[in-house]
Amino acid sequence: MSTSSSAPDTSAPALEMKAVRKVYRMGDADIIALDHASLTVQHDEIVALVGPSGSGKTTLCSIAGGILGATEGRVVVAGDDITDYDAKQLTKFRQERVGFVFQSVNLVPFLTARENLLVVDELGRRTGAAARARADQLLEELGLADRRNNLPSQLSGGQRQRVAIGRALMNEPRLVLFDEPTSALDTQLGEQVMELIRNEMKSRGTAAIVVTHDERITHFCDRSVHIVDGHLDAA
Amino acid sequence: MFLALKEMTRAKARFGLLIAAIALLVFLILFQQSLQNGLLTSFVGGIRNQSAPVLVYSVDGQRILQGSIITPDLEALVESAPGVGEVGAIHQGTFTVTSADGAFDASLLGYADPALGAPTTIVEGRLAESLDEVVASSADAESGFDIGDVVRVEPGGLELTVVGLADQAQINAGPTLYGTVDTFLDALRAQNPDAGTPLPNVLGVAPADGTTVDEVVASINAQSDELDAFTKDDAADATPGVAQVRQSFQVIFLLYGLVIPCVTGLFFLIVTFQKAGALTLLRAIGAPAGRLVASLLIQAVLIVGLGYLIGTLLYTPVSQLRLGGIPLEFETAAVITWAIVLMALGLLSSLVAARRVLAIDPVQATTGAGVGR
Repeated sequence: MSTSSSAPDTSAPALEMKAVRKVYRMGDADIIALDHASLTVQHDEIVALVGPSGSGKTTLCSIAGGILGATEGRVVVAGDDITDYDAKQLTKFRQERVGFVFQSVNLVPFLTARENLLVVDELGRRTGAAARARADQLLEELGLADRRNNLPSQLSGGQRQRVAIGRALMNEPRLVLFDEPTSALDTQLGEQVMELIRNEMKSRGTAAIVVTHDERITHFCDRSVHIVDGHLDAA
Repeated sequence: MFLALKEMTRAKARFGLLIAAIALLVFLILFQQSLQNGLLTSFVGGIRNQSAPVLVYSVDGQRILQGSIITPDLEALVESAPGVGEVGAIHQGTFTVTSADGAFDASLLGYADPALGAPTTIVEGRLAESLDEVVASSADAESGFDIGDVVRVEPGGLELTVVGLADQAQINAGPTLYGTVDTFLDALRAQNPDAGTPLPNVLGVAPADGTTVDEVVASINAQSDELDAFTKDDAADATPGVAQVRQSFQVIFLLYGLVIPCVTGLFFLIVTFQKAGALTLLRAIGAPAGRLVASLLIQAVLIVGLGYLIGTLLYTPVSQLRLGGIPLEFETAAVITWAIVLMALGLLSSLVAARRVLAIDPVQATTGAGVGR
């Protein structure tokens, strides 16, 4: 299956993971980061993936987003079975089909807020004027219209996170993966960002997985899935 | 292109400094190239730019025009060598000459046949046609050796009128005059009435029809161990000191040739480490590694290209100057050659950083790690 030739299946779940295992080889030992994890996320569902540090939540998120390959199991994103994709196909898949908001580095420091959104189009389809219009619209919706020409260093933590959300939505993904989106923010700002995430996802009918270890923000999600030592407790 | 240009625009000081450093190095390279060529031309340009395709020295002369003496026996051997066409005597001596600008030690070359020893790079005027006429090297025109100027050979006071100027026609880095053999003998006798008739210093030789220059050189050298025949370019290169000067400059060029890729390579390596997070993020959101490498190479091309352009612009006015009597020239061939060499080295050096970029694992975006961590 090619990511470029197949259009997203809007009726299909945003994510289907079936019995996914991820095993890391460390010296002579095998470290099981994910153990037969199965998870289905519906097309407009927001799922909180909750677990302590080292529980495997980032690994699950990375596999769902095509950043990491699974050792075993099956991964289907919006109808695309990415299980056997090679590195090149996964790159294209990430470029076109999913959105990411990472915990640490989220923006390119030498690009303005607007350019951080436009870079998604530059790396992929290069639609030009349409991309510029979409970036402007997203920045407007995210309350950043007056900050579009600011560099990340000129933005507050909350504003940077909002730009990252805008970037994650630029390629109109079916699934957006948020890795600890509020970890660097205070409680109030964290809640504002979560509310924004919820509003943006729901208004677009876009599914999301929010990785967090903070139970206080899970109420912004439709449901929570707990992960401990690579095992999911509910799917 | 988008990423490459945006980054350069946002980090003007950083990239500007590198461009300035490269421009300075390019300027130094080109300037030294001109200096080398100017120096060599002022020493042996007259040998390279005279009309005899082959010059024959006596071995005892150790490839120095004035030190070589061709005896009648050697001359006869040259004339009888297979493939030799025309043979003409060339005399050379150093004379004290006064011009409007003062006294100079000037070389005077006298040729028996204009086709075998006269300068070939006349840029103004004509060859000498009478006893009191000479052609001067154009580099000395402003020192009282311009067309119409009268110079005096001292002592004796023989007056010679400059009727032509020849480019790159100096010998021994001083004013150089070209006239007929009779003019040379007049100058010699004016200086020393008892001089008699000296033997020629070298012979100019033209190959016979159907014989190449290299064949005639081999043929003459086979005649006797006392003969040293060269093509005119080889004769210039074989002049004592020329190889040493060239070798010294080559060492300098080699060092410059190493400094530029080192500076460029280290710069991009440092920048790659510094923006490791951004590169990892871009890989994670779907930037192909090749695109990021292309962006880096575009920057390398732009930096080396701009540095080269600025360096060449700085070099252009300097290349029109005279440096301690050595006329510099804009070396077009050197500018083109160094542009290709430095661009290739610049790109090659940035491949180390490119390797780092290719090694980025997008999963590092989830851990906050980046290049080389």
